[in-house]
Amino acid sequence: MTNTINNILSLHNLSIGYSAGKNGILCERLNVGARKGELIALIGKNGTGKSTLLRTIARLQASLAGSVTIRDREIYQFSGRDFARLVSFVSTENVTVPNMSVYDLVALGRFPYTNWIGRLSEEDRNIVEHSIKQTGLALLKDKNIDSLSDGERQRVMIARTLAQNTDLIILDEPTAFLDLQGRHEIIHLLNKLAAEQKKTIVFSTHDLNIATSEADKIWMLLPGELVEGAPEDLILNNQIKRLFDNSLLRFDSASGSFVVKKQSGAKFSIMGEGEGLLWTSRALQRLGLTITETPAQAHGIIRVNQNAESFNWQVHHDDISEEFASVYLLANYLKEHFSFHLRKKQ
Amino acid sequence: MQVKSQKTTLFIFLFLLLAGAFVADLAIGSVAIPARDIVNILFTGQAARPEWRTILIDFRLPRAITAILAGTALSVSGLQMQTIFRNPLAGPFVLGISAGASLGVAILVMGFTIAGASLSFGFLSNWTIVGAAWIGSGLILMLILLISARIRDIMTILILGIMFGSAASAVVSILQYFSNEAMLKIFIIWTMGSLGNVTYSQMQVLVPGIVAGLIIAFSLSKILNALLLGENYAVSMGLNIKIARILIFLSTSLLAGTITAFCGPIGFIGIAVPHLTRLFFKTSDHRILIPASMLIGSVILIFSDIVSQLPGYDATIPINSVTALLGIPVVIWIILKNRKFSSLG
Repeated sequence: MTNTINNILSLHNLSIGYSAGKNGILCERLNVGARKGELIALIGKNGTGKSTLLRTIARLQASLAGSVTIRDREIYQFSGRDFARLVSFVSTENVTVPNMSVYDLVALGRFPYTNWIGRLSEEDRNIVEHSIKQTGLALLKDKNIDSLSDGERQRVMIARTLAQNTDLIILDEPTAFLDLQGRHEIIHLLNKLAAEQKKTIVFSTHDLNIATSEADKIWMLLPGELVEGAPEDLILNNQIKRLFDNSLLRFDSASGSFVVKKQSGAKFSIMGEGEGLLWTSRALQRLGLTITETPAQAHGIIRVNQNAESFNWQVHHDDISEEFASVYLLANYLKEHFSFHLRKKQ
Repeated sequence: MQVKSQKTTLFIFLFLLLAGAFVADLAIGSVAIPARDIVNILFTGQAARPEWRTILIDFRLPRAITAILAGTALSVSGLQMQTIFRNPLAGPFVLGISAGASLGVAILVMGFTIAGASLSFGFLSNWTIVGAAWIGSGLILMLILLISARIRDIMTILILGIMFGSAASAVVSILQYFSNEAMLKIFIIWTMGSLGNVTYSQMQVLVPGIVAGLIIAFSLSKILNALLLGENYAVSMGLNIKIARILIFLSTSLLAGTITAFCGPIGFIGIAVPHLTRLFFKTSDHRILIPASMLIGSVILIFSDIVSQLPGYDATIPINSVTALLGIPVVIWIILKNRKFSSLG
């Protein structure tokens, strides 16, 4: 076990699931922790219990065994209001409320601090304004949340957690609805909040590129087991490959990215150089064809010719020679003539 | 702060509208009483003709006050139901409260005669009908509270509420089928709703019931605001969901159950008024929506009452038909305008 003394959040032999029966248990004896100011990505396949784990930590679902502690106190020892001042939560749900402004929604974050009727004090209003500024929403604060884009609305939900002023923020798939740029913006924002404001942030995601490039630590939920470590540690000790054991995706530790494993069809040898070679290889990978270094073993040879700015491709196989002016035409030809190899393997 | 003053102006406008509609409601009827005399009678007790005073004080005034109470109560309970179930078509009766009340009244009016007991019409006084309706809706409330303490998903509670309502209606149909004509007519007339049966002595029960329901509702403003985001978010912000549900259901039942007991099931006000309120006030804040829907609900029910008296004719039509005909266009408009249900009002 690593140094647990500085952990703000710890799981102790935690079992999660829906009922104590054998079928209800999703994961047993989980032991991980999070320190102040850490950004933690929770990854794992669908159905392994990522949401259940986050909901259990946020007290939205009861644990089956073991405990969760925050600042060395069991979470159910806090009153509802005290707990809401320690932990805030953003769910996967896309919240739409008619006639609610950005400001009003962020102000709801002051719920555990305001009086019975929810009157905002001067201090409350300052905190709400500050939260809106930090998430880059200043220009949108009077807009209706229904008129925002998914990415903007996610920012509003995060601004609400800032207004709630908690040490720990839990987000269940905050990037689920977002496009590539939106995803990076949200995770970058979380990264900034963790680094600058010393918030401990735990979020689940399916985007492994984001998880490995932005998180301080990864919690990797495998069937029945939760593994923790810096992203680089999990890559170096080959733990991260365990996510893909039986799937079509694999992690390429050399490039640090994820590639789709395709069944290998016909083998080709490619001759050429530079970008022409690189992108032709990509096209063959996409088609599920294998690239071999030794022309003798290949079903065919592809030659990439470059003349100034323009390319052309020559294919030689079975005494046939063809020439193509674009990768698209080349790919169509290969699909037509080597589809047998592709289909056979599937 | 311009927005704030706009809302204040709206409140003042609605209040004046209500005052005007109130006086108009008192003035209209088979005997015409001039508006000036109405104000005189109300404030000084002096009437140009003594029978005007009797008509006004004993008949029209309790009726108009009942209209305000009913409009207020049904609108606020409908608003709470739409918020907690996050469903724009929820209303005060989704939990089966009016069906429970109907069952109570049906058993009283028709059940006993089927069982062979011969009841005098005197037994079917206002009070016994009110009591039976109250017991019926109270029992449904108990069931809902029992369930809501055990079931986490609020949608399950909504579906069970609708099922209880349907079951109660089915039993009512059986009773109607075997009932005799006279009793059937009493029951049918009850289901048509009436604002005119409430006496001053009954107001001593009606008013405290409604006021208690409104006080609970208003004290829940902050909680209702949080529930707009859904129960998960509300809980994650420190809300005790069990207590919140109990108080919301209690308030709704007090408001809708009491009105149904005294006036019969009055439809559509509870669904339509919260939407009109959001449309006019452009806010989701219950601290504004609750008083605003009280005002709008009162204005609309008083207006419905005026229509139901068919000014210029001797006959009246049932209040329930008027509220339905006024409310249904609003509900249709909600559905057409918001296919997504996400940009209500």
